[in-house]
Amino acid sequence: MRLSICGSLLFISLAAVVFSAQCDDSRAVFAVIARAPVKARDQKNPYEGRPEAIAAGGKLFRQHCAECHGDDAHGRGRAPDLHSAAVQDATPGELAWFLRGGNLRHGMPSWSGLPEQRRWQIVAYLKTLR
Amino acid sequence: LKSASKEVVGFDNQFDAAPPNSEGLGEHHHEIESKLILSSDVKGWNFAENFITEKNWGHEPWEFGYAVGASRPFRLAATPSPCNFCAENFIIGAEMYGGLGTADQLTLHGTSHYLAPIVAWQVPSGVNFTISPGFGLNQNSHAFILRWGVSYEITQFGRKLRSLF
Repeated sequence: MRLSICGSLLFISLAAVVFSAQCDDSRAVFAVIARAPVKARDQKNPYEGRPEAIAAGGKLFRQHCAECHGDDAHGRGRAPDLHSAAVQDATPGELAWFLRGGNLRHGMPSWSGLPEQRRWQIVAYLKTLR
Repeated sequence: LKSASKEVVGFDNQFDAAPPNSEGLGEHHHEIESKLILSSDVKGWNFAENFITEKNWGHEPWEFGYAVGASRPFRLAATPSPCNFCAENFIIGAEMYGGLGTADQLTLHGTSHYLAPIVAWQVPSGVNFTISPGFGLNQNSHAFILRWGVSYEITQFGRKLRSLF
């Protein structure tokens, strides 16, 4: 029998996630969003206001985000309420920038693996939560 | 490209498979394998570079291998309706992988290498299916190998683990 154990690096990553900061991270996350570079902040959402894109963003939200932020996006545990002013007042570019980079220290993974178009669709959906 | 398939490392070559299965079934190998996965995303394309190490617990030096590849979803934007078979759930790409020798003899000489298209189907439930027909690039390689896999990614594992305590 050939026993192959793949992933010592994976365990290290998991441990880092498990033992990362335990406090409520909403304010820290919002502070990170506010640090988005000007170029990212000023980017327009190519899907803004487009019903199909908003619906697709909702689908993506349920697939990838609802597990932490809740189906209603009001947040759970460390995951912030996405209806909050800090999120809704952020520009689409700031949210897209934050989605891409994430902030693992405060519990937000990077979604750079999602194509840019899908991240913009999620942002279009988030902006309908106001 | 972040696959969990059995990797080609060290001096793995086509002659390893020469003994009949009846002999191979009697062999027991205990190995540990680790993989450094570097990945970047540019305009919908994912570029991945893996550095692989494998160690037989009983003997033999560390063996090294690599895999590099590029992949892209058939469709970049998502469709509004939930679907399993829509183009956004399929990924197509190509990868090249092979051995890099051992800790005692880090070299490309005598190693085998493959070029392989890869197709992946990411079901929204989280299950991924991949299939990758590989074509040997030198005389040490098998002429053709077929790798396939099924995987499930546990998202937010840390959060789930914390919720248990």
